[in-house]
Amino acid sequence: MFLSEVIGLAGPALEVATILLLLRKRLWRVYTFLFVYALWLLIGNSTILATFLYFSKVYPDFPNAYPALYWNIYWNIDSIDVVLRFVVVWEVFRQTFPKRSGLNKSLSKGLGVIAFSLLAFACGTFLIYQNYTGPRSIHLALDRSFGVVQAFMILGTLVTARYYGVRCGRNVRGIALAFGGWVSISTATNAMADLASPFLPYWYYLRPLSFVVMIAVWIWALWVYEPNPPIMESEPVELGQWTEDWNRTISATRTIIRP
Amino acid sequence: MDRGLESDNLSYTDHHKAMINLIFFTILGLALFGSFIFIALQGSPKSLPDSSAVQAVTEIINLEGSSFANARRLLDDTDYQALCSNPDLRRLAQRLRNDRRQLALTWISSLQNDLIRLWRFRRFLIQRGVASSMSEELRTLQALSLVLLSFIRLSIRAAGPFALPRATRQAGQLVDSMSTGAALVLGRIPAAGWAEIERSWVKSAA
Repeated sequence: MFLSEVIGLAGPALEVATILLLLRKRLWRVYTFLFVYALWLLIGNSTILATFLYFSKVYPDFPNAYPALYWNIYWNIDSIDVVLRFVVVWEVFRQTFPKRSGLNKSLSKGLGVIAFSLLAFACGTFLIYQNYTGPRSIHLALDRSFGVVQAFMILGTLVTARYYGVRCGRNVRGIALAFGGWVSISTATNAMADLASPFLPYWYYLRPLSFVVMIAVWIWALWVYEPNPPIMESEPVELGQWTEDWNRTISATRTIIRP
Repeated sequence: MDRGLESDNLSYTDHHKAMINLIFFTILGLALFGSFIFIALQGSPKSLPDSSAVQAVTEIINLEGSSFANARRLLDDTDYQALCSNPDLRRLAQRLRNDRRQLALTWISSLQNDLIRLWRFRRFLIQRGVASSMSEELRTLQALSLVLLSFIRLSIRAAGPFALPRATRQAGQLVDSMSTGAALVLGRIPAAGWAEIERSWVKSAA
């Protein structure tokens, strides 16, 4: 019980620290979407904490016997959070492939199609769980269906960046890895909790603990302002020359293969 | 997370489809988590120096050994084998082998000098206040490369130029990687300051 209380308090405390860090160093202007998400986390988790404290006083049997209102608040906030997590994914993507970069122009359409397919996959896997009647199961299904997609999106962004030699600064790298790690471990533990009830006691600690670790890594990542280095792009003249050379190589190769 | 949220409806795990789905998500989630850990442990990709910085380093230091481009030809024993196959040309083959050995030794010696010069240049840049981390410094410690070059030199002297052709050819890469390291450090100074660096370097080397 003591550990869960520590985790419950550490979450909002670290969220306050993240917001202060973003405000103090004026990083909120650069990482606006992350700032919005951090604000949401603080509001959501503080509401849950306040509700918990309130019911602890009002209901003597709480949390062994809990009112429906409490878990309604809890799971509804969690469901909103599942959707809002996409702003972190978008933040990582827009920082890694800035709007004006050539890579963004080349990749955005293809990656958009992949993102749409992943969303369709998430909706599909969630709808399979229609046969679930318990409120927790529906929320857990929602959480893992979208969580796995968000983890794929973050991983895809990092792998694509690495493939094209785009370097990530400490800020984006820390945000992306911590967020990706958290949503993927949350997906796995959610599924395990539904799969085998003996895992539930571990799940009660693992999920919030991994969340606290994520926020701590965010603070570490944002402690020093180190954005992504600008993507070095060639001049249009150079690119034109390169394209010409490349086309010449292709036609020469074709001539050799099919004389 | 609170214990009070535990649901009383857990019997659905009997459903075969749902079980497969849950196992799938468990494996997928763990695999994704492993991937993130793997990326985190790999560290950020190594930064490559600007090509102009690499060019500037080559110009400032005048690398003699690494500019030699015909190492493959020098260490190729085809001509030697062809001469050996004819008993009348054995003496000529021996002379070719000795000449090649001398050339290979001269080349390796030049590479050693290049390596030492690059190491000194890097040290010179850091002395002048160019930023570098301790891990970068440890990575570019050249003691091992120098030992490796000495070993190759010894093998050429003892067993001839054709004994370890692959290892000998790769000796040039040791200098290339050191040159890249020096260019990376030089790239941290604005290009406008490179001429001043070159002047100071020539003065200090004299």
